[in-house]
Amino acid sequence: MPEPSFLFGQFLGGLTAAMFLFTIGAGLSLIFGVLRVLNFAHGSFYMFGAYIAWQVMTWLGPGTEYFWLAALGAATGVAVLGVVIERLLLRHLYGREELYQLLFTYALVLILADSVKIIWGTGQLSASRPPSMTGAVQIFGTTVPYYNLFIMLLGPAIALGLWLLMHRTRLGRMIRAAVMDREMLEALGANVGVLYTVMFAVGAFLAGLGGALVTPVKSIVPGMDVEVIVEVFIIVVIGGLGSLWGTFLGAVVFGQVLAFGILIMPRFSIFAVFALMAIILIVRPWGLLGKPLSR
Amino acid sequence: MYRRSLLVGASSLALAGSRAAQAQGVIKVGFPMILSGPGALFGEPAMKGAQMFVEEINAKGGVLGRKIELIPRDTKGNADEAVRQARDLILRDEVQFIVGTLTSAEGPAVSTIAKENKIVFIAPIPKTDQLTAPANLHPYVFRSSSNTTIEGRTAAEIVAKWPVTKIGTIAPDYAYGQDVTKAFVEHLKKIKSSVEIVDQQWPKLGEADYTPFINAQLGKKPEAVFSALWGGHFVTFAKQAKPLGYFKALNNNLIGVGEAGSIESTKSMGADYPVGIWGNTYDVFNWPDAPPAHKDYITRLKKYTNQEHPSSWPITGYIGMQFLTDAIAKAKSLDSDKVSAALKGLTIDCPLGSMTMRAKDQQANHGQFWGRTKMDPKYPFAILENVTRIDPEPFMG
Repeated sequence: MPEPSFLFGQFLGGLTAAMFLFTIGAGLSLIFGVLRVLNFAHGSFYMFGAYIAWQVMTWLGPGTEYFWLAALGAATGVAVLGVVIERLLLRHLYGREELYQLLFTYALVLILADSVKIIWGTGQLSASRPPSMTGAVQIFGTTVPYYNLFIMLLGPAIALGLWLLMHRTRLGRMIRAAVMDREMLEALGANVGVLYTVMFAVGAFLAGLGGALVTPVKSIVPGMDVEVIVEVFIIVVIGGLGSLWGTFLGAVVFGQVLAFGILIMPRFSIFAVFALMAIILIVRPWGLLGKPLSR
Repeated sequence: MYRRSLLVGASSLALAGSRAAQAQGVIKVGFPMILSGPGALFGEPAMKGAQMFVEEINAKGGVLGRKIELIPRDTKGNADEAVRQARDLILRDEVQFIVGTLTSAEGPAVSTIAKENKIVFIAPIPKTDQLTAPANLHPYVFRSSSNTTIEGRTAAEIVAKWPVTKIGTIAPDYAYGQDVTKAFVEHLKKIKSSVEIVDQQWPKLGEADYTPFINAQLGKKPEAVFSALWGGHFVTFAKQAKPLGYFKALNNNLIGVGEAGSIESTKSMGADYPVGIWGNTYDVFNWPDAPPAHKDYITRLKKYTNQEHPSSWPITGYIGMQFLTDAIAKAKSLDSDKVSAALKGLTIDCPLGSMTMRAKDQQANHGQFWGRTKMDPKYPFAILENVTRIDPEPFMG
């Protein structure tokens, strides 16, 4: 039996991975929940977030506190990109069949992936954590880097923020109304088009933020878009597409299954995650906390 | 896609006439290599080395009076893609030879294509023993790089001298990682019976998050670790391991094979590099015992790549190409069987000294540089301290 401090370390490692995924997945889930569009290009937004953050850091000074500015700038940049895509392109597909939306967002994946290669090349880029986050703290005999601690706290903060936005603001009430009955809301004089754009921008912002924040921990490399979209799809399927807390739960489950799977049967931990997803799809297709689609 | 292949078909028809004439002129060499993703950290400079060699030999009139044309293709680090590119190079570009591939998944895959098409294939980088193992050996596959037996055993010789007995390993879960780890463990147990393998981690090749593997390994409390994570994979791993106190817990007793000590790896990490660990590399620009040929090579490389501190990987592409052209010159022919016969037992005089392609397993006696990394005020990145080139002969079996 391994020591408790080590199990705790493994738990925290899994939680850090989970909160990264939640930050990204929350945006995907949000966009689906409101716009009913399954955005394949969400992973591409994440990748753009990482590359833009790297670019801004390179301009401002790598390995400095400008990291935070770069991360916010990257997330904002991706949100703007999201607005442009939603207003100019995606908007025309709302009435169409879901298949067209899927094909469209898949085309976006290819276009954005090639754009990244053209702008930043195909090599691997690397960024450092900001100086204030290089240290680590000992918790129950486990070394926890400040940066991981920050990510672990950021996840719940984003969840809470989104919950407050949806349930405690006028915008949130309108969004929930739009989900229930778009025509009625429009008849009441609300501009649902703007509402959709805002939600798409918020979703893209979260993807971009996730991408920017991941740069000190992972490598910035073409292909990171597809890798993350697979993981994010798994967490939203496990938790329930369109459900905020479902996405949160899905991310935590994913992180822990992977972390402890490696401990118990190292070569099958990835298999375990996919098996879990398959079982949930069969037993409870709408996910742990999702609602069955009424359509 | 369909339209594109039609276009290509039409243009190749048009080219067919000129090509037949051209074929008398140039020697076409296909160069499938990882030119994108984490493997490009090594693949890109390897291609530069091959290109420099080709430019130099062409400036001297080529070989057998013919110029060499190098055709690089991106394999994306994927064996399927490498096979597709190799087939394409043979069928569409009509290359006469293939030098290339990087991973131990790509090398053996392209070897079967070379066998099918009777085209001499020189692997300048893939290390898996399986590539030239008796079961897979055929007249057209040669390896100019080191292999997993040489690398694993050399690392074992170094670790055996450390005052440690509890050993852990971490390696990507595919041919190279498995083979080199096996060679290391078997040889270490043979030369130092007191060692105990306390932990073995097998992340997948290209893993993005090593944290759970790092924690799991720390939990087993090894005193030293053998790592076979290479290229950008090592960079990602070290970036995640350092803040978790991994290298500190090991007292820097980590030996990183897969060229963790190469300038490409240390440069790309700068201050994030876990200085103090051991690593290997194919080349060092500041080799203290360098023969004049190496000094001259480094000077040319500096100029060619426009780098103040040139990369270590160009030598792999350079040596692979030199084996090929020396063999063509010796065979006085472009015929695959004649070049293959010329390659067996061929000794070349390369920048690292003389190197021989053994006839029995078509494997070059290519050893590597080893040393402990340290920061040197002269450079903004870690370098290898007391770097030595270790003779591979005793470990080649």
